[in-house]
This record gives sequence, C-alpha cells and structure tokens, in this order.
Amino acid sequence: MRSQRSRMLACLTVAGLVAVGPGITRAQDVVKFGVSTPLSGPAAPWGIPHKNATELIFDEINAQGGLDVGGKKYKLEVVAYDHKYVIAEGVATVNRLIAKDGVKYVSILGGAVVKANEEAVNEGRVLNLPLAYADGLVSPKNPLTFHSFPAPPETTSFWKWVKQNHPSLKRVATISPNDDTGWWSIKVETTFIQKLGYETVAKEFFERTMTDFNPVLLRILTQKPDVISVLASPAGSVGLIIKQARELGFKGRFIHIGQVDTSVVANIAGKANVEGMWVHGFVQTPLPERIKSWQTRYTKKYGEWNATSIDFANPAFAFVAAVKKAQSFDPKKVADALGVVEFDNLWGKAHFGGKDYYGIGNQIIYPMPFSEVKDGVATLVTQLLPPHN
Amino acid sequence: MTPALFVQSAIIGVSLGSIYILMALGLTLMFGMMHIINFAHGAVYMLGAFVIYYVFFQGGMPYFVAFVASMVLLGIFGYLVERSIYRPIKGGIEPTLVALLALTTFLQAAGYPVFGQLDKHVPPVFPGTRNILGVGISIERLMIIPVAAALVIGLYLFINNTRLGAAMRAIEQDKEAAALQGVNVHVVNGLAFAIGFALAAASGALMAPIFKLDPMMGEQPLLKAFIIIILGGLGSIPGAILGGLMLGLIDSIVATALGAEPAFLLSFVFIIMLLLFRPTGLFGYAS
Repeated sequence: MRSQRSRMLACLTVAGLVAVGPGITRAQDVVKFGVSTPLSGPAAPWGIPHKNATELIFDEINAQGGLDVGGKKYKLEVVAYDHKYVIAEGVATVNRLIAKDGVKYVSILGGAVVKANEEAVNEGRVLNLPLAYADGLVSPKNPLTFHSFPAPPETTSFWKWVKQNHPSLKRVATISPNDDTGWWSIKVETTFIQKLGYETVAKEFFERTMTDFNPVLLRILTQKPDVISVLASPAGSVGLIIKQARELGFKGRFIHIGQVDTSVVANIAGKANVEGMWVHGFVQTPLPERIKSWQTRYTKKYGEWNATSIDFANPAFAFVAAVKKAQSFDPKKVADALGVVEFDNLWGKAHFGGKDYYGIGNQIIYPMPFSEVKDGVATLVTQLLPPHN
Repeated sequence: MTPALFVQSAIIGVSLGSIYILMALGLTLMFGMMHIINFAHGAVYMLGAFVIYYVFFQGGMPYFVAFVASMVLLGIFGYLVERSIYRPIKGGIEPTLVALLALTTFLQAAGYPVFGQLDKHVPPVFPGTRNILGVGISIERLMIIPVAAALVIGLYLFINNTRLGAAMRAIEQDKEAAALQGVNVHVVNGLAFAIGFALAAASGALMAPIFKLDPMMGEQPLLKAFIIIILGGLGSIPGAILGGLMLGLIDSIVATALGAEPAFLLSFVFIIMLLLFRPTGLFGYAS
C-alpha cells in the first residue's frame, strides 16, 4: 500500500515537472516571455514602452486564439520585472525569471544590465532579445542573444547624412553615462565620426544619478562645439543637459543616435531648447499607416501614446516570427530560425545580420528612422540602413 | 581655466553650496540636539520638491506660496515624526536611526505609485540668464543664494535671540540640566525635527524648477549633507555653512577644471586629509 502510494506520488511529480517544462505551462498552454526592464527611475521612459509593446503584440495574438505551433494554439504571457536600471536589481530579476518563473525567452533592457546577465543567460540556455548597448554583447560567445534594436555601429550611418546635409558642422563634443553602455557607445561613435573628418573636441562621462551638469558643460563649452552628442543618455538626463547647456549659452545642435523620447526631453528642457535636435528611433510625424494603426491600438490599451514603443516592439515581433518559422518553443530551434527569418516590424522588413562586423549575424537590421525636432515635434527626416548588412 | 570660466564656476559653486548648506543645517541641528543622523532627510528633500510640483505647477498657486507650503507641511510632518517615532523610542540613538532609515525606504518606495514612474518637471520660475562680471548665469540658480542666505540668517536669529532658541542651545549643551531648568525637552525636540524637515523641504523646493523630480532625487543631496556635517563638525551650524560652501565650490570649480570624477574623488581626499589633522571637523569639538 505504502509503495503504491510512493509510486503514485513519483508519477505525479514527474507529470508535474513535465507539465511545467521549459517556460511552457502545458495545462494551460501558456508560454512565458520574461521582460527585465526599468519600469521606474530615470530610464523608465524606455522600460515602460518596452513592456507595453511586448504585451500589446502578445495580447493581439492571444485574442486570435494564440500562437499556432504544430497545429496547437499557445497563449503568450509577459512576465515583467522592474530593474530600475540598477545592475544588482537586473541580475536579481533575470535570476528570478529563469529560476522561479521558468522562462526560456527574455528581453532585457540596458547595456550594463545585459552584460551582468550574460553568464546566467548563456548557462541557462535562455534566448535573449535585448534592447541594449554594450561592447561584446553581439558576439559568437553569446549565440542565443539577438540584439533587437539598432546599436551605435548601425546608427552611426546618420552621421554621413549630417555630413552631407550640414557640412558647416565640424566640432563635436560628447557626454554620456559613465558605464559600459556609455563608454562603448562613445567609442564607436567617435571612431566613426573622426573617420568622417569631424573633430571630437570634448568627451565627458557622468554618473547616472547626476543632475547638475553645469561643471561638465562648462568644460565642454570652452571647446566651442558645433554639436553635442548625448548618446546613451536617458531622457531625464538629456533634458537637464540641454536645459543647462542652453542656460550657459550653447546655441548649437544636440544629437542622440541612440533612442530618446523628445517629448520627455522637452518637458524638462523647455520646448524651444530642444528645437533642431536629431534623434534616432523616435518619430512623431509623419507616421506610416502601419504605425498609425499601432498608435491607435497602443493608445487604446494604455491611454497615453509613447513613440518609443515603435522600435521597442522588435523583440516581440522577432520572437513570434521565429517561433512560427521554427514551429517549436525550443530556444535553440527558435534561435536557429531567428538567423534566417525575415519579418515585419513597424518600419518594414527586418532580419538579423551584421556577421561581417560582429562575427555573428545576431544584430537586427532594418531601415532605421531618424528625426529632427521641428516646432517641438520629432519629424522623420530619413530612414537609413546600417553600414553593414 | 580662464578668469571668466573661474567666475562662472565659482558663482555656480556658491549656488550649489547654498543648497548643500540648507540640507546640512537641518541635519546638524538634529544631530547637535538629539545625536541622531536623520536618514529621512533626503526623502524630505524629495517631498519638498513634489509639494512644489503639485501646489505650484499642477495647482497653479504662486511659487512662493508653494515654497512656504512646502516648508510648513514638511515641518508639521517632522513634528509628527518626532511624536510618533523618536519620542516612543525614548530617544534611543540606534533604534531611531533604524526607524528613520525605514521611513526613508518607505517614502521612496511609496513615491513611485503615488507620484508616477516617470520623472516629473516643474517649469522655470525665473527663466533666463543674467550677465555677472561678463559671464552668463541662470537667474534660477542666482535666486537660490539670497533665499538660502535669508533662511540661514533667520535660523541664526531664531536660535540666538528667542527663548525657544535658547532652549535648543541648552538641550544641545546638557539635556538633563535643561530639563531641570524647566525646558520642555519633548516640545523643543519636536521643534528641532520640524525645523530640520522644513529646511530639507526648502532645499528640495528651491531645486524643483532647476532639476527633474523623482522619488530617489534626495539620495545625492543627502550624501553631500553627510559629508558637509562631518567636514564642518558634527552639530556645528557655522561648520555646516562653511562646509557647504567649500563642498559646493569644490564640486563646481574642480569639476569644471578637471572633470566630475576627479572632483568627486578630490572632495573625499580633502575631507580625509582634513580629518587627519582635525578629527572633529572644522568647528567640531570632542565631547
């Protein structure tokens, strides 16, 4: 009697373990997708649309019955945690996603956070679709990491456009966060622009908690730059940098070839101070029909429109396309599919490539949007492909 | 560094130092009287700034009304903290420290659901710049200096020319002796909490239109205030004033000349060197 009960208990345990499986709760046919992103703090203007965009895409698929794999429909669920752009919190949230929630697919935002989680992601054989800038992130040593947002090696393309359209600008100063993300971004950007003939007259870094940029800006302004690049800086910091630089008399341009919400920047810096700023990945007008439809759906669900969500929807689009192609939820098979699948994002056709530059084709490639703030509105000026395919 | 740049960074340093002084004054006042380090000071600075956001920006009231409201509301909050936390603990230094740390954590954590997850901003109260000695300085920053000076002078006059101020000085010197002379220690401690909180709120209220607002915005000023009261001498008001000015000038002039990182390191090197020769700080004394 006792051994029969033990056998039954063992069977139930095995059945339970099988049911929990790799990120799939089979009893409910739910696939969990982890999101570790800043939902509070200075980087929240990036994290909130990251989570919302992923949820919206999954909700729309779920509303149609779910994702069809092998003739069976699976519901997609986002499990999101706030890491506040603090590395320790980023490590804790990803560990929790992998160990407690059992997810096999994650999207992590933030270069320093993604780098800190490299080992956990690789050892856990977790598919990662990050939105992050960090040296060595797209690399053969991270075969399951597919970077889902154009990084500085891609977005530097825009400097060629600037050179052609604004040849009078010659002196560039940079100011970036004092971490992995900032260092790498500026290294890539300055190397590229120096080859184009620009003079880098100042290169400053700041702690992400900094609010008084006056001393740093005074140093920069003595070098009389034509353009100040604020690459990799979050919207709140960019707003303060612009406001304080204008107060100190800077009349030139600002450029952010990373991604920044210029409406958040303008709230802090003042609308007039942001005029003429160039940004990548944030466009308010004109929007293609596909994006207008996205805007309507996003606003209906979340109340407030956030243009950052356009490009931050990439991880979800890529994941869904790859699972459809692989007809499997096995992370390795999904990764293999990501290497070959072409899919639609909100700007057009996208794929993963960049093997010539990174040594592995795990960088998203699509026509990147760049805009200029005109009358307070981020207005699309061009769409460019990266220098590598 | 050119003379013009030096002047510009020095004026910015004095403005920054003025904020540091207000933060440090409340902290040192509470330490002098009750020997407690108020870890909640940074959170109170944050709340002071958010009062400006709601009363001035959202509520449409004049800035100076919002400024006074910020000081009064947070002053009352300080008195309530003394009544509900410090007094029941009976002035135990360690339990009070832990309780104030818990209060800070609670206020910061509650800030996100209450104030929202995105950074807030307050529009400029004094927009534009003014030319001083040939260099442009933001009027907002210039205005900090007289307002902070008025508050410092007001505090000085209060402490040195009123009966309550005399009671505060008496408690600072000897709490038991003061009580034997008829000083109501609880009431005066409550007043010290109220003044300390009000000064932190004033700092936050002055900075609200200059910087952005978020629930963690008080952490850096709190760190600076700790440095200042150690530099100036724990419990010393003149020390807090001199220390605040020195740190503001170091933060601005050294950071302009050498960069933010070297300035941060140098400020600590300077403090360590000073403490090696004067372990009690500039105006502190061994108890």
